[in-house]
Amino acid sequence: MGILTIQIRSGTMMNMDSNVALKLAKAAIEKGHKVKIFCYGEGVTLIKAGQNPKRFPNVGDILEELASSGVEIVVCETCGYARGIQRGEEIKGTKIGSITNDFSQFVSESDRLVTISR
Amino acid sequence: MKSTLFILLKSPYEYHDLDIIKTLRGGKAAAILFEDATLFSVCNKRRTDLLDVVDDVFVIADDLEARGFKDKAGEGTQVIDYPHAIDLIMDEYDQTITL
Repeated sequence: MGILTIQIRSGTMMNMDSNVALKLAKAAIEKGHKVKIFCYGEGVTLIKAGQNPKRFPNVGDILEELASSGVEIVVCETCGYARGIQRGEEIKGTKIGSITNDFSQFVSESDRLVTISR
Repeated sequence: MKSTLFILLKSPYEYHDLDIIKTLRGGKAAAILFEDATLFSVCNKRRTDLLDVVDDVFVIADDLEARGFKDKAGEGTQVIDYPHAIDLIMDEYDQTITL
């Protein structure tokens, strides 16, 4: 079994990109692969706790479920601060990190990288 | 040469030039269509344009059905689910490129 890193660069409510990324993550886990997720740019909005969409899937809930099942989920600190996301506001099990440390480590450890972006 | 799986998410009408695929591909190449890109499979002209630059075209069933085109994917395309997409990504192609 392999390691898959998914980079998400679209925000929660922009389109269905985040849902595509998280469906891929779930399918990979079910097939026995290890999954790492790095959120960059608008993608950092995925880790904001307290999301409450009325007509769309709750990406926050899915992300929390993935984190509790062992998926490493990290967002870019600089991108988060630029959008007003502070430490302590992230969903349980996710981490505010950096592209230079965390993402580069994810990529070096992974067999495949998938970018979900516009 | 590395085989490449191109990931397409946007509507066919947002891609003005598919020749970039010919430039980027090395060996075997396929496209996998998510979200509005699934419309490539039901638009004859755009489907043939895409089939001219890749060897295979895969379409995500859920995303096609969500747009009202269940069972309408055109000739030359293969409708698949998310677990099959993972097999393509992890086992059948060496790398992915998102366009």
